[in-house]
Amino acid sequence: MALLPQFLANGVVIGSSYVLVALGLTLIFGILKIVNFAHGEFYVLGGYLAVLGSQLLGFPPLPALVLVIVCMAAFGWGVERFIFLPIGKHDPTNVIIASFGLSILLQNVFLKVAGPEPMIAKSGLPAGAIRLGSVFLTSERIAIVAAAAVTVTVLLVVLRFTWVGLSLRALSENATVARISGINVRRVAVVTFMIGSSLAGLSGALMSSVFMVQPGGGVLVVMKAFIVVVMAGMGSIEGAIVAGLGLGVVEALVTGYLGSEMRDIIGFLIVIAVLAVRPQGLFGLKTERS
Amino acid sequence: MLECRNVDAGYGKVQILHGLDFVVPTGGLSAILGSNGSGKSTAMKTVAGLVKPTSGEILLDGHRIDELGAHSMAAEGLSLVPQGKEVLAGLSVEENILVGAYHRRKDRHGVAEDLEMVYQEFPRLRTRRKAAAGLLSGGERQMLSLGRALMARPRMLLLDEPSAALAPKVVGEISDIIRKLRGRGLTMLLVEQNVSMALELADEIHILREGRFAYSRKNGPDVDIEELREFYLGKGRS
Repeated sequence: MALLPQFLANGVVIGSSYVLVALGLTLIFGILKIVNFAHGEFYVLGGYLAVLGSQLLGFPPLPALVLVIVCMAAFGWGVERFIFLPIGKHDPTNVIIASFGLSILLQNVFLKVAGPEPMIAKSGLPAGAIRLGSVFLTSERIAIVAAAAVTVTVLLVVLRFTWVGLSLRALSENATVARISGINVRRVAVVTFMIGSSLAGLSGALMSSVFMVQPGGGVLVVMKAFIVVVMAGMGSIEGAIVAGLGLGVVEALVTGYLGSEMRDIIGFLIVIAVLAVRPQGLFGLKTERS
Repeated sequence: MLECRNVDAGYGKVQILHGLDFVVPTGGLSAILGSNGSGKSTAMKTVAGLVKPTSGEILLDGHRIDELGAHSMAAEGLSLVPQGKEVLAGLSVEENILVGAYHRRKDRHGVAEDLEMVYQEFPRLRTRRKAAAGLLSGGERQMLSLGRALMARPRMLLLDEPSAALAPKVVGEISDIIRKLRGRGLTMLLVEQNVSMALELADEIHILREGRFAYSRKNGPDVDIEELREFYLGKGRS
């Protein structure tokens, strides 16, 4: 039991990254109704961009993160504009298949450009563990939690208290009402996709100084993000925050007490249990869609 | 003034409206009656910009609006009140009202003023302003839709079956509100299945059948109810 606080802290670190990835996924689903299986590769791309910024260009931590966010927003714009929009015009379900294709394409582009060797970003933060009570954490790990907390707070404030946020939430509720109220659905869709990819990229960049970045690294990440999103209720922002942190903590406890081979199984077991009891997810509204 | 000139519209290859041609004069109220499948919803959606006409023109105060798309209509002065169930169910009542002012969001003072105006018009919305719109009753949702549409400061209102699925008492309340808004000079197009509501409110009555007007008359004491009913039920000939 002496290790419990350490396990909890580790869980919060991993959970923070799940929250960021899952928020992007759930925003894109809730507003654009796109299930983006390439979201994990967006995360990996963020990691590679962080390596590029910190190692090759020698940027300090904050400018490197800004580079990642700007590049990922531009990348998200391009993907939406040139892949998902034209493909979804004929049949929206084609977009799901296209996102699978994009996922495989990106993995191979990573392999070709960056090579199979795992990479790690240089955070530029002071080395060594910091002691908080009985918990030891490296400064990179603390930075992950802090950056996630800031990002989530900003996102929540924007969604709740600004016109941009109102337009996003209106569109996720009812596209017709949003349109007749004067909201330009195309513009909101693009902005949403840019925000969603930036969140995935930011998470990948933050994690790249702790975990290796590698071409296939997005596969498990997108699965975890889907666990979080489905468990929370598709499209639920607050739910994704709670479920993301929750999954991180549960995984850390399972790893600590039961062994790491159980870690990647437990999430799926939980999501099956949740869906059996509450099909709409923990925070999903039980509404009929017309 | 709303002018529809020889408008054809439909979905994909299926044509629903055939040469729809009518005018709603400024300050006037025209009603389009029709049973299910007559094309009246498509007519409403076409005027509101949700469906693009395949030919013909739609003009608001002499200005063409048929090529603009639904999201530009609010800024043009035209607001659609969709059928009562169409609210942003997960958002609060107040957010639902505010979203109607989206196109003039920079006018903070005016938006706050109009929100107060809507609350004065519909006191029940004020008491429930923090509640999720999905929890409202049918009548309250209809009022919410009206309130949202008014936030755009429209010159022209499109009312899509305001009486649908409402209790007779509530229909009466909605009729009173429509009459009051008319008194302020709003131009309105009302699409209904409810013949008596249309007879009570409209200056001009059109009956839509298979995407064409089968009947178009000025409303007044000399309207032959029997004749109108026959056209509505599909027996009469034009």
